[in-house]
Amino acid sequence: MKQSRFPLSLLMFGYAFLYAPIALLVLYSFNESRLVAVWSGLSLRWYGELFKDERFLEAAWLSFQVAAISATLALLLGTLAALSFDRNRRFWGRSMFGFLLNVPLVLPDVVIGLALLLAFVEAGKAIGWPAERGMSTIVIAHATIATSYVVVVVRARLSDLDRSLEEAALDLGARPFAVFTSVTLPLLTPALLAGWLLAFTLSLDDVVVAQFVTGPGATTLPMEIFSSMRLGVSPKINALGTLLAAAAAAAVWIAWRLQCRRR
Amino acid sequence: MSVSHLRSFAILASLLASFANAKAEEPVLNVYNWSDYVAKDTLERFTKETGIKVKYDVYDSNEVLDTKLMTGKSGYDLVFPSATPFFAQQVKAGAYLKLDKKKLPNAVGLDKMVMANLTRSDPGNEYGLPYMMAATGIGYNVEKVKSLLPDSPIGSWKMLFQPAVLEKLKSCGVSLLDTPTEVIPAMLAYQKRNPVSENPEDLDAAVAELISLRKYYKYIHSSKYINDLANGEICVALGYAGDLVQARARGKEGKKKQEIAIFIPKEGAEVNIDVMAIPKDAKHPENAHRFIDFLLRPDVIADITNETGYANAVLASSKFIAPEIKSDPVIYPPAESQAKLFTMPVASKDYERSRARAWTKFRTAKK
Repeated sequence: MKQSRFPLSLLMFGYAFLYAPIALLVLYSFNESRLVAVWSGLSLRWYGELFKDERFLEAAWLSFQVAAISATLALLLGTLAALSFDRNRRFWGRSMFGFLLNVPLVLPDVVIGLALLLAFVEAGKAIGWPAERGMSTIVIAHATIATSYVVVVVRARLSDLDRSLEEAALDLGARPFAVFTSVTLPLLTPALLAGWLLAFTLSLDDVVVAQFVTGPGATTLPMEIFSSMRLGVSPKINALGTLLAAAAAAAVWIAWRLQCRRR
Repeated sequence: MSVSHLRSFAILASLLASFANAKAEEPVLNVYNWSDYVAKDTLERFTKETGIKVKYDVYDSNEVLDTKLMTGKSGYDLVFPSATPFFAQQVKAGAYLKLDKKKLPNAVGLDKMVMANLTRSDPGNEYGLPYMMAATGIGYNVEKVKSLLPDSPIGSWKMLFQPAVLEKLKSCGVSLLDTPTEVIPAMLAYQKRNPVSENPEDLDAAVAELISLRKYYKYIHSSKYINDLANGEICVALGYAGDLVQARARGKEGKKKQEIAIFIPKEGAEVNIDVMAIPKDAKHPENAHRFIDFLLRPDVIADITNETGYANAVLASSKFIAPEIKSDPVIYPPAESQAKLFTMPVASKDYERSRARAWTKFRTAKK
C-alpha cells in the first residue's frame, strides 16, 4: 500500500516551523550588511565585532556562570524533593507541598521577580544580607524557579522506575546508600541530565526575573541584548545567537550520546 | 556646656563626619543606563583621569528603572531616566539626592532653554541635569510626497493635519503614533494653541479636529511605521526621532531604495530628555558628581553625541560634533523649531482621565 504523503509533509512543516527562524538567524549572522534583515554578502565581520565587544562577552560569561551554578543548585534541591515525594507516600501536608512545588511553573515571571526583589530588600534590611544584589541573588532566583522544573522531570522518571531493582539490591545485602548510588542514581541519570539542561537554558534566557533581582556589576546577556534594542538590532546579536544555538545543540548532542552509550 | 558650645560641637562633628564620608568613599561608581548610551572610550577616560572604576549596568525600559528606584536600595549611584513622566514622578516621590552644584562647575555650560524645559519635571533644576534628548518629528518619503503634492508644506505640522494636504497624501499612507501625549500636543501646536495646555476647551478642539481627519490616517500605531516607512508602505509618519533615523537608514539599504527625510515641525514639537540623577541612597554620591561633571565636558559629551546620534544640551560641545550630525535637522533642529521644543508636564489626574477618554473617542471614530 502506498503511504500517504500527508503525515510526512505535516512533519516537515512542523520541523520547518521550529527550525526555519533559527536557520535564518544563522544565515544572517554571516551577512555583511549593518541591517539585520537585508542580505548584502557573505562575511564574518559581525563575529569579529562581537569578540571585540567586551561588554557582550562579559555579560555572556556572567550568564553562563549563573546558568551553570543555578542549574546545579536546582538539580540538587529538585532531585531531593522529587525523591522525598516518591519515597514517602504518606506524610502530613503531602498534597499541599506538591501543589506548592508546582506553583512557580505557572506563576508569571513578573510576579516571581517582584516578589523576590521585595524579599531580598527586606532581608537586606532585617539581617544585612544581601547587602548588595548581584550575581548571587540572580543565582538564587533562578535556582528557585528551576527547582520546580527539575522536580517535574525527575518525578516523572521516578514513577516509571522499577522498584524491584532496588529491592533486589537490598535483598542481596547492599546498604541503602549503596543502593542509591549504584542503582537509583544511574537509572535516574537521563532525567537528571534533562533536568539540569532545562534549568540551564531557563536561566540563560530569563530576562524578567533577572532584571528585578540584579544589582550593580551584574548584567546578564539577555539584559544587554534587550537594552541594545533601543538603538536598533545589531547583526552582532545574530552572531551571538548562532554561537548560543551551536553551544546548546552541542550540549544536547553530548547528552544524547551519553544516553545512547548507556543503553 | 552652654548651648552655643553644644552647637559648635555638633557642627564640628558633622563636619568631621562629612569629611570622613568623602574620604571613605571607595573609588567605584555604579551606573545604571541604557546599553551603548556612552561613547566607546568614555568610561575608560574617566577611570584614567580619576582612578574611579565604573560598573556600567543596563536596563531595557524606564519601568524597570522605576521599580528599582521605588523599592529602594537599588545599589546604583547614577541613573538616566526620561524626564517625563518617570523622572518627574520620581522627584515627587523623593527618590533622588539634591545635586551639589558646587561640585558641578561644567553645568553652567548647559542650554538655558533645555534647563527651563526640565523645570516642568524638576522645579528649580535641583535633582537632575539633561543628558541626551530627541524630539518627536515627521518622517516622509521624498519621492512619493513630491509626486503626489509637489508643493507640500514640509517643515510644518500641516503635513499631518491639513485636510487639503491629507486629501492628496492619503493614497500613499499616513500614520500617527498611538499615544495621546504625542498626538494631542502636536495638534494643539498646529492649531496655534498652547501645546501643553490642560484647558478642557483646547482638548475638545484638538480632538474634534483629529476626529474630522480620522478617515485620512491609514493606521495609528507606535512602532509599525518604522518598517513601513522604510519599505515604502506608507509615506508620512509621526514618529520618535530615534526610530525615524532608523527608518531612514533602513530605507537607504533596502532593495527598493526609499529616500526618507525627517523634520521637526516649526510650530513646536515635543522633546524627550534623558536626565542624569543620583538616587537618594547612593553609596558613592561624590563619585557620581564627578562623573556627571565629566560627562558635561564639551569634548566628552560631543563624543557621545557623535556615537549615539542623540543631541546634547552642552552648548560648547557643538564645535566637537561631526558636521553630518550637527547639520541633521532631526538631531539638531533649526533654531526656529528648536526654540519651540517643549516637554510634557505631568498631567493632573483629572486631565489625564479626560485626555484618555478623548483619545478613545478619536481612536474609535469612523474612518
